[in-house]
Amino acid sequence: MTDIVLPLLIAVPIVAAVAPLLLSLWSTETGWPVATVAALIETGLAAVLLRSVYLDGRLVHEVGGYPAPYGIELVGDGLSAPIVALVAVVSLGVLAFARSAGPRRNSFYSAYLLCVGGLMGISITGDLFNMFVFLEITGIATYALVAADRSGESAIAALKYLLLGTTGASLFLIGVGYALISTGTLNMVDLSVRLAEIYTTPGGSRVVLASFGFIAVGLGLKAAIFPLHTWQPDAYTYAPDTVTVFIAALASTVYAYALGRVVLTVFTVDFFDAVPLAQDGLLALATVSILAGSALAAVQSEVKRMFAYSSVAQFGLVVAAFALATPDSVLGGVIHLVGHGLMKGGLFAAAAILAARHGARTVDDYARLGYRSPVVAAALGVLGFALVGVPPSIGFLGKWYVALGAVRAEAWPVAVVVFLSTLFTLVYVARLLERLYFADPGTAATPAPGEAVTDGGDEDETADRVDSRVPDSVSVGMVAVVVLTALVVVALGFATSGFETLLDPVLTEVFSQ
Amino acid sequence: MIESIPPFVPVLIAAVIAAVAPRKVGHAVGFLATAGVAVGVLLVPEGTLIAGQLFGFETVLYAVDDFSRLMGLIFGLIGAAAVLYSYSSEADGKQTAAALGYVGTSLGAVFAGDWLTLVFFWELMAVTSTLLVWYYGGRAVRTGFRYALAHGIGGTLVLGAVVWQYVEVGSFLFGAATGVVGPVAPILMAVGIGVNVGFIGLHTWLPDTYPSPHIAASVFLCVYTTKTGVYAMFRAFPEGNLWIAYMGGAMAVFGASMALLQEDMRRLLSYHIISQVGYMVAGVGIMSDLATAGAFGHVFNHILYKALLFMSIGVVIYRTGIEDITEVGGLWKVMPVTFISYLFGAAAISGVPGFNGFVSKGIVIAEAHYSMDTFVIGSKSMFLGGEDLLWWMLIIGGVGTFMSFIKLGYYVFFHGPASIDPDDAKIGQAAPMLAVGSLCLAFGLLPGVLFELLPYTDVVTAEYTTYTTPHVIEGVVLGVAGFVGFFALKNVLSRLTWIPDVDRVLNPAVFYGGRALVVAVTETWAAVDRVAVAAASGALRVGSDPQHFAYTTAKRLPGIEADTRPNGGRPETIDLQVSMGTSVFLIVMTLLGALAVLLL
Repeated sequence: MTDIVLPLLIAVPIVAAVAPLLLSLWSTETGWPVATVAALIETGLAAVLLRSVYLDGRLVHEVGGYPAPYGIELVGDGLSAPIVALVAVVSLGVLAFARSAGPRRNSFYSAYLLCVGGLMGISITGDLFNMFVFLEITGIATYALVAADRSGESAIAALKYLLLGTTGASLFLIGVGYALISTGTLNMVDLSVRLAEIYTTPGGSRVVLASFGFIAVGLGLKAAIFPLHTWQPDAYTYAPDTVTVFIAALASTVYAYALGRVVLTVFTVDFFDAVPLAQDGLLALATVSILAGSALAAVQSEVKRMFAYSSVAQFGLVVAAFALATPDSVLGGVIHLVGHGLMKGGLFAAAAILAARHGARTVDDYARLGYRSPVVAAALGVLGFALVGVPPSIGFLGKWYVALGAVRAEAWPVAVVVFLSTLFTLVYVARLLERLYFADPGTAATPAPGEAVTDGGDEDETADRVDSRVPDSVSVGMVAVVVLTALVVVALGFATSGFETLLDPVLTEVFSQ
Repeated sequence: MIESIPPFVPVLIAAVIAAVAPRKVGHAVGFLATAGVAVGVLLVPEGTLIAGQLFGFETVLYAVDDFSRLMGLIFGLIGAAAVLYSYSSEADGKQTAAALGYVGTSLGAVFAGDWLTLVFFWELMAVTSTLLVWYYGGRAVRTGFRYALAHGIGGTLVLGAVVWQYVEVGSFLFGAATGVVGPVAPILMAVGIGVNVGFIGLHTWLPDTYPSPHIAASVFLCVYTTKTGVYAMFRAFPEGNLWIAYMGGAMAVFGASMALLQEDMRRLLSYHIISQVGYMVAGVGIMSDLATAGAFGHVFNHILYKALLFMSIGVVIYRTGIEDITEVGGLWKVMPVTFISYLFGAAAISGVPGFNGFVSKGIVIAEAHYSMDTFVIGSKSMFLGGEDLLWWMLIIGGVGTFMSFIKLGYYVFFHGPASIDPDDAKIGQAAPMLAVGSLCLAFGLLPGVLFELLPYTDVVTAEYTTYTTPHVIEGVVLGVAGFVGFFALKNVLSRLTWIPDVDRVLNPAVFYGGRALVVAVTETWAAVDRVAVAAASGALRVGSDPQHFAYTTAKRLPGIEADTRPNGGRPETIDLQVSMGTSVFLIVMTLLGALAVLLL
């Protein structure tokens, strides 16, 4: 009976999303409580799912009682359960952050809940077309969230995201269409069997190859892999700070998970054996993404943009892990997905607090903030080091397993880049830490909160305009979220065996062939 | 009761007591502990007495068989004599504490029943003996450092061999395999132990270190390290090994030849350790039980007479303060007890019939005669033909031994009138010297008693008779050759003392090589550091204003007109953000690339 949690995970937030809109008739401040209640329920459901998967392995629910492959399956297994847990926990954490940081409109929380529902759907669906539907739900909700502060820049960023994101979803849909044409099924497990029949027969594989190409590029775009990442820095930078925390922690994470799910469950390891070029191409894309993302992150002057490019590099790492398709690397990929979600969410939250308190937006603005906001800066330092991969932290764990997988697969270029990525990450994290703690006291003349940050252009307009992205105020709860994230990130560094137990059934199944 | 106390325990306790107690008490306790060990090991039954766990592995802390019993007996015996000698030679309580620590860890090594325990005590031996050398200060600090370096490397090799052995066999226990097996472990083990027993090329620490500390410390040093090495060599290669046998022969010749050229008394004796250990290594290497028994007999005998020699020469140094043989002379009249002790020791080491050296050296040489036929020189029909190369090496080593001890004795005790008038040995020095000297004589005259102590007693008594006419003739011929050789070559030898050992090259090479390594590592790190700092500061520079940086870079490129966007942009910057159109273009290109790769 526990499989009922799977449809509930999707239904609860989507149904709840309607409530704020209706309640708006009565009060405009009802969004937050509704969302919080929904997120708490989601966290509870995610805990049940995690426990069930941890103890019994795979959990399946047939929607509407129609059996697969005709009906839609919802699947909770070692691959999806950690992502579901991450989505639930982060959406709850972001709500704790949003309580005083805003936005406060009911429509924001409707979009927020819709987005959570979509993310949950992508995570647990066992049907490829269903995945596209949730992809669209998530995408549309996200576009709305990015534009939530109604400023010009965020509107343009959201529009860019809308255009490119829709393109990505369309490419994915075309890929799904090709797969459907050649097999007549949309169920992932069923597809994996039937696709295998096709690509193992010579000459019959071109449609399947095209399908893989479209799906990989479409999801790569959604997950912001270089050079398909161009929407992402703008969206992250110009979205309200609360929204950035949310989408940076979850959106790309779930898309990268979807890519991994499609690669491992639908196309399977055998596809890579049959078409080594597909594997090599995906690996090349991922490796380039690590290098380019790190280099671009290192030269950014704005902190949010730096973190955004850092995500490009980190998702390169995750995609590389899935493309390597070894038990170690997939374990590392899932750990890094969860870890990166927590770390990046925490980093953006810390950046938001520093922006609200000190108006600090650029790396130079961070000069000596380590002494003015010691707690938040320390948490930022811990999260930064975790992102670099300093043990003990979940950041180390993920990178370690990915590197281990690369070494065991004897994919030396990937292994070298994974090790180098640590160094690259250190470059931009060290830049921040150097500013925070060791900057020359003379350069620390930071503007007061709310003071305009002029960067040329329309001086008349910016001079009296308060940065619309920053939280309205900094509450103890917001700081607590950041500190708690830092502690969890370190604590999960000791959770190796937990992750191994969770993923063991999946890994055995995926790599048993 | 006695079965449950490994021999190293009382000795190490005595070491702790000696370190803190008054000098007299400390030495008394040390003497009792070592003498007690010598008696105790004769009483314990054979077998595994204490098995346990070390670092989580199955180990045997205390195992007794004929081999370890022999080693324990002689280690305890000579330890007691050396403690007594130390006391009379005004050795400090702390120095004797270090020496007892050294004795204790050596006992731990020879009573170990597995490789892990052995290597554990092996490393501790290196530490304690280094402390013993260092305690003297002065020149001994430098030589002690080289000593520590050599044994650090050797110990590491042995440890590596033990790890390989474990990988190969799955157990550290001696009983789990016949010696050291596998492709790598025997080589590592031979070289690692080779440092301890002074394989040629790896021997430089020995004549370097042993002459430098206190005279009593030299007595301890000359006994334990090399003999534990021989014991370990037997454990590693219980069935022998030809290469090791010939290395032993070469050591016998090399050590004796180098000894002949020395004028420092203790340095001469030190080279003789190499030569004598060569006989033992040859005995271990020759593939017969009799040769192994001979090697262990030689270990036993050698410890007696070599300690005796170091003690008597130590007395000369103690009384005169002179270490160079050319600066003393005619001492036999003024130091008769010392002279007699020396004579006993020299006769024993040279293998004069009637002394113990003759017995055990004879077994090894006889086995080189009977059991070796790898490099046979000449045919059987020729005079002295048909003997193996090893036999010749051991014989030449024997002549060299005679010559160098005649040289040492001649220069120190005869060679002109006594220009100085030192006192003779103290009672406390004379007592252990005479006791050990009489043991040398006793075991020489009653080889049957010695055979009882040896492993493979039945083989030895059945197959080897000490006093046969050929054996005695052999001993006499060696002696005569030594006398004739020395007096014929006396003047030549005194002019050849400049001949250097390999350490003249090795020590600077290690020193400058080590320094080069350190500098190289530091400089490499500095270079990495410079690159990292340059990269970080470059990123800082670019990151502070990427648009402007792009503008200046583009302007510097030949053939490119850098242009600022007219509307909205700051002057001298290039807008770097990708437009929507470019983004879509990138997506299309990526898709096309992906499809091209997959489909073409």
